[in-house]
Amino acid sequence: MSDWKKVCAAADVPENALRKFDIDGKELAVANYGDGFRVFPPYCPHMLEPLAVSGMLDGGILTCGKHLWQWDLKSGEMKGLSEKDILLYDCKVEGGDILADLSQELSYDWEEEDELDDDDFFN
Amino acid sequence: MRITIQTKGGEFEVDCEAGDNMLYAGLKAGVTLPYECGTGTCGTCRCRVMEGDWELTWADAPGLAYVKQEKSETLMCQARMKGDCIIRVPGEITKEDSGPDHFCGRLENLQRLTHDVASFSVPLDRPMDFMAGQFVVLEAPGLDGGRAYSMTNYGTGVSRLDFVVKRKPGGGVSDWLFAGSPVGIELGVFGPLGRATFDPAEDKNVVCIAGGSGIAGMMAILDHGVASGHFADHTAHVFFGVRTEKDIFFAEEFRRSVEKFPDNVNVTIALSDAQTTDGLAEKYPGLNFATGFVHAVASERMSGNYDNMVGYVAGPPPMVDGALRMLVLEARLPGTDIRYDKFS
Repeated sequence: MSDWKKVCAAADVPENALRKFDIDGKELAVANYGDGFRVFPPYCPHMLEPLAVSGMLDGGILTCGKHLWQWDLKSGEMKGLSEKDILLYDCKVEGGDILADLSQELSYDWEEEDELDDDDFFN
Repeated sequence: MRITIQTKGGEFEVDCEAGDNMLYAGLKAGVTLPYECGTGTCGTCRCRVMEGDWELTWADAPGLAYVKQEKSETLMCQARMKGDCIIRVPGEITKEDSGPDHFCGRLENLQRLTHDVASFSVPLDRPMDFMAGQFVVLEAPGLDGGRAYSMTNYGTGVSRLDFVVKRKPGGGVSDWLFAGSPVGIELGVFGPLGRATFDPAEDKNVVCIAGGSGIAGMMAILDHGVASGHFADHTAHVFFGVRTEKDIFFAEEFRRSVEKFPDNVNVTIALSDAQTTDGLAEKYPGLNFATGFVHAVASERMSGNYDNMVGYVAGPPPMVDGALRMLVLEARLPGTDIRYDKFS
């Protein structure tokens, strides 16, 4: 069952900006890529780099400042040096607010407790 | 002693010597393990130790912030093996025919270039092949751990490595170089390392943004581009950031490169803490001068002209971050065409 929650006002995140919010105990990054918004865990899937701090956004491309991994936020696809997908919450803009479906449990493998038992470790 | 490296793409078994750290052992055997600094600061060479006895060589390595030590994760470059080990390493890893290795040599030809910059050479016990822009880790007797230094030279079968070092307060090797009498002392050398390399076959224009001794690798790139004739039909824009005029070095080397290809090779010295004067241009013919932080000066002078370009960045971490932002957001170079070293 979905759990749509307001993350922030659309006006809180100017074009090409990245902002971090804490909603219901979940850390969220919001990106305004010009044609729309994306909501995602605020850390790079590679090495936990805080994307709302050192990430860069331009022309729809999000770049992590540590190793320059990149994603196309329009399509959600990996670009260039990136080796892992970015995980995105479903989100929408309603009445000037950005809402995200926080029923989704999005986590990268470095957050998983049972990764030792996982054959596909660190994937 | 043996290390077993488990990766997504398969398992690699590597013989190694007692006292080897996991990173160097794997790299030596040609396993393309992930790393950036090779000296404990960046956190890129993390792994999980599944079995085996090992110890940390630098318990306070800043890069350990990136690993969960309680889950037996560690940095391969700081993990000295005491017996056979099995480790797991993330990322796309393959095995090549050869890799970097241990060398040694006695420090010679120490020369002061400015009040806090010196150059020196290390003739090697056997020749090394390395590309312009690569670095090695130097280890000095009595100093814990190694420090990464880029070579100002490059080539195949090179018998002598050339370096430039800036004195940093509390910088172990640099204090040792400046305060002591290090000439003739034997240094351990591990390398070559680093992917911030220049290859004329890439057929690209070059922009180099460097601060202080970060210029080292750029000198090799500039030399290679000149010697190979690459800059006859490609441009090179070098931006070298220093604080004031008394911090300028390599001016003569820059002038010689500019003289060879004056239409295509462009060198700008950015002074962060001083105004430019007419006297500077007279004193250093062929070089351009500007006031400001080096990445801001580069941004202004390049003014959007980044056609078919590869960018190189090296220097103090805040300068590197500023230059990377500039190359990503303004130059819009793809990550594959931005090459940098973030030693700190």
